[in-house]
Amino acid sequence: MVLKIFFPQCCNRADSGLLVGRWLSGHDSAVVLAVIHYPFIPGQVKQYIQQIQASSGVELSVLGSWSLPKEGQEGMESFLRDLSTIFPQKRWLQINREVGKTGFNCQVLQRDQNGRAIPREIKKKVEKTDGEAGGDGQKKEKKKVKKKKEEKQKEEEEKKEEEKEEEEDEEEKVIFVHYEQRKVMLSQLHPVENGVSDPKTDPPSELRQMFQSVALSQPLYFLDRYDDGPLKSTHWQSEGREASIIVELLKQSTVPLCMLLRWLLSIWTWICNIRIFSLPPLRFLSSKLSTCVQLSYRTEHMRTLSSPKRTTEHTEFMRKANMVVSVLVDMALGMLLMWWLYKDNHISMLANTLVPAADHVAKELEELLQWLMGAPAGLKMNRALDQVLGRFFLYHIHLWISYIHLMSPFIEGILWYGCLSACFGLTFALSLLSDMVALLTFHIYCFYVYGARLYCLKIYGLSSLWRLFRGKKWNVLRQRVDSCSYDLDQLFIGTLLFTVLLFLLPTTALYYLVFTLLRLVVVLFQGVLHLSVDFINSFPLFAVALRITRSYRLAEGVKFRVLCEEPGTALHLMMEINPLKSSTVVQLYRTPTYSCYPKDSWAALVKKLFVGELIYPWRHKTTKTD
Amino acid sequence: MGPDGAPGPAVPWRKVLWERQPFPDNYVDQRFLEELRRNEGIRQYRYWAVVKEAGFVGEQLSCVAIFITLWLYMEQGQLSPERLLWSSLVCALLGYGLYQVLTSQVQSGCEPRTRLADLQSATIFLSFTFGFSPVLKTLTESVSTDTVYAMSAMMLLAHLVSFPYAQPSPPGSLSLNAALFASVCLASRLPGALHTFAMLSCALLMFALWPCLLQRLRENAPSQFTGVCVGVCIAGVGGLGSQWPGGAVLLALALGSVTLLCPLLLVMLQRHKDNIQGPWDEAEIQEDLSHFLH
Repeated sequence: MVLKIFFPQCCNRADSGLLVGRWLSGHDSAVVLAVIHYPFIPGQVKQYIQQIQASSGVELSVLGSWSLPKEGQEGMESFLRDLSTIFPQKRWLQINREVGKTGFNCQVLQRDQNGRAIPREIKKKVEKTDGEAGGDGQKKEKKKVKKKKEEKQKEEEEKKEEEKEEEEDEEEKVIFVHYEQRKVMLSQLHPVENGVSDPKTDPPSELRQMFQSVALSQPLYFLDRYDDGPLKSTHWQSEGREASIIVELLKQSTVPLCMLLRWLLSIWTWICNIRIFSLPPLRFLSSKLSTCVQLSYRTEHMRTLSSPKRTTEHTEFMRKANMVVSVLVDMALGMLLMWWLYKDNHISMLANTLVPAADHVAKELEELLQWLMGAPAGLKMNRALDQVLGRFFLYHIHLWISYIHLMSPFIEGILWYGCLSACFGLTFALSLLSDMVALLTFHIYCFYVYGARLYCLKIYGLSSLWRLFRGKKWNVLRQRVDSCSYDLDQLFIGTLLFTVLLFLLPTTALYYLVFTLLRLVVVLFQGVLHLSVDFINSFPLFAVALRITRSYRLAEGVKFRVLCEEPGTALHLMMEINPLKSSTVVQLYRTPTYSCYPKDSWAALVKKLFVGELIYPWRHKTTKTD
Repeated sequence: MGPDGAPGPAVPWRKVLWERQPFPDNYVDQRFLEELRRNEGIRQYRYWAVVKEAGFVGEQLSCVAIFITLWLYMEQGQLSPERLLWSSLVCALLGYGLYQVLTSQVQSGCEPRTRLADLQSATIFLSFTFGFSPVLKTLTESVSTDTVYAMSAMMLLAHLVSFPYAQPSPPGSLSLNAALFASVCLASRLPGALHTFAMLSCALLMFALWPCLLQRLRENAPSQFTGVCVGVCIAGVGGLGSQWPGGAVLLALALGSVTLLCPLLLVMLQRHKDNIQGPWDEAEIQEDLSHFLH
């Protein structure tokens, strides 16, 4: 059997004392969490450990003794052995490090029935190459037999196999796994396990247990080195107490902020719930306006953020942090945009260019229609229908231009007030821009709808009349084409209509094609705007920043580096945290928005375009069917 | 003497499968070919009977020729639409009367159409045709004349091919529709909306109603039916000859080959028919092509 001892690096040079830690259940390994120094009163130690155990929920115990004898402290062997009788344990680890040497000696005492300790594995000289505690020094000095394994389990298995061969010679081997206590304490092992799974049926893996016990025994680390207490111990401890106090104060100050936010939200919800807003046309309108959609998203975010419940789960915490950061970044960008807009009177410039631009678009459309009313691209269209459609659309453009001119005095004011919305964030400004584009290109939308409806009618008519032409019909019940004998008058009228529709189809199809292309350009532009808004809304900025600056915080696993491996000595491994992949971070922590839902495929889109169904509300498909 | 050539033991072979016999399963004895039958249930065609039947095909061909002749007259302005309309009306009334007379002769079990339903149908035809004729007039304006002619020719050919010669009383959908499509295409080339209307009414009369009357005639007065067929053929050739003599010669040749030459060939080739049947199952290759059309 191999005994694994997870040993914190900060305890490498600790004074002699007791090892406090935990045996991992179901595995032959121990986690050392702290060293309590001499002198101590055993009763106080026991009481202290119980106290910590109660507050952290980790089964702490005294694992054994640690000795780093200074000058004049020789001959403690018997004393250390006696300690094991004071703290009765099944196994007693006795680790000692000699002055000037870099090795650890480890003895494991197994307790027999009578309660007498028997040294089972005696004196294993362990060389440690580096006297300094830091991991950086070790990296430089050592012989660098690097073993990088993504998965710990595999490594273990390999090692176990190796060990099995040697097992005949030695009864028990010890592997020291050095870890950085701070990093392990702060890191979150992925995949995240939310909620407590039943420990009896499904015990968590060894690594997860180890991470959990290091993270949970935070109360242990509060004992300061300089405290005047009955006990002194060595473990990781924060070096920035003052900063942590400021953080704590900030945390406290968010409580009134949250309350204010909640109050504002309640007012906002009350306004939204007024009956006039739930009338069908208004509700339909608000579901189509992207500003309203964005507003509802942000309201939902704020509601989550201002909830009075304290978040304990990692995912929930990350979600909230992502939301906060995205809202803050959004608002900062919005402020920047506002500053640029209101500087040098950019708004009036914008307003002055907007009306001529709309005019220009309308003029271009008119020219396009004139072209279509002639013989476009040498195509021979039905002249009468062509004229009718062209005049209809021209009249529509005329209406639209007069509407724009009617609006033109107010456009600057509308823009001025609209830009104020940018202080809520860049997303609002972009959504507003998208809505304005939608409103300004309403005529194109109308053209598209007329064209599509006409075309759709033709296609459906032609397909059913083609069946009549062949003497068939569509059987709705059996979902197939049956043959059918029609009456004489049915046949006659059907053929007449078929001929008419067939000869008029190219004209309609051309109009439909042109206006669909125009519409697609607008939809593409709006789509880009929506995508950027969605990106800001859903991108997990906090998690990505955490991944970049503190890569150990989001761990995917661990890898081991061999510090020292000589025949006859125990293995010394350095445990390093494998950070989560960036793509996984984005995937895991992105805030769910509509872009996460499945969309129509391209083939379906092309089919819709071909048949003449309306394509615009593709993302509201589910609500449409309701 | 079976396929496996097993030497026959003393036990005689019986053609049963439920009894265990000392023969292989595919064994047959010498009596096998005794049951061979040739040309079972064959109908011996007589030349003139076949010519009479084939006359119907020629008659339909001539109908198409008459329609084309009428259209040619209309297009050149030699036939005014009013005259065509009046004559069509007279023909329709005469044909309707004849139809009623023939129907009352044989009162079969099925319920006949009432006069009101007929009137209703006629109203629908006329009103729709009249309403659509201005639209139809401008329909193919921008399409080139050659295209229209080619399309019409294709459709008329489709009409002739898919016409249900055996049972024309409810005219087949495809044949009627193809004929109507062709007539719409041709009618849209005429100078005025009234021309179009007249031409379409005429087409309706010739392609939809005339086969029904002819069917009645064939059922009730077979001798008159032959006469009518011959008359129509002569009218077709003569009519086409007045406008396009080359076409008339071609039509006459076609009629001759369809009504005289083809039956002759059929009767002559009948001697060579050798259809064998026997106590075996014939392998039938069933190729259902209809599913390609859906």
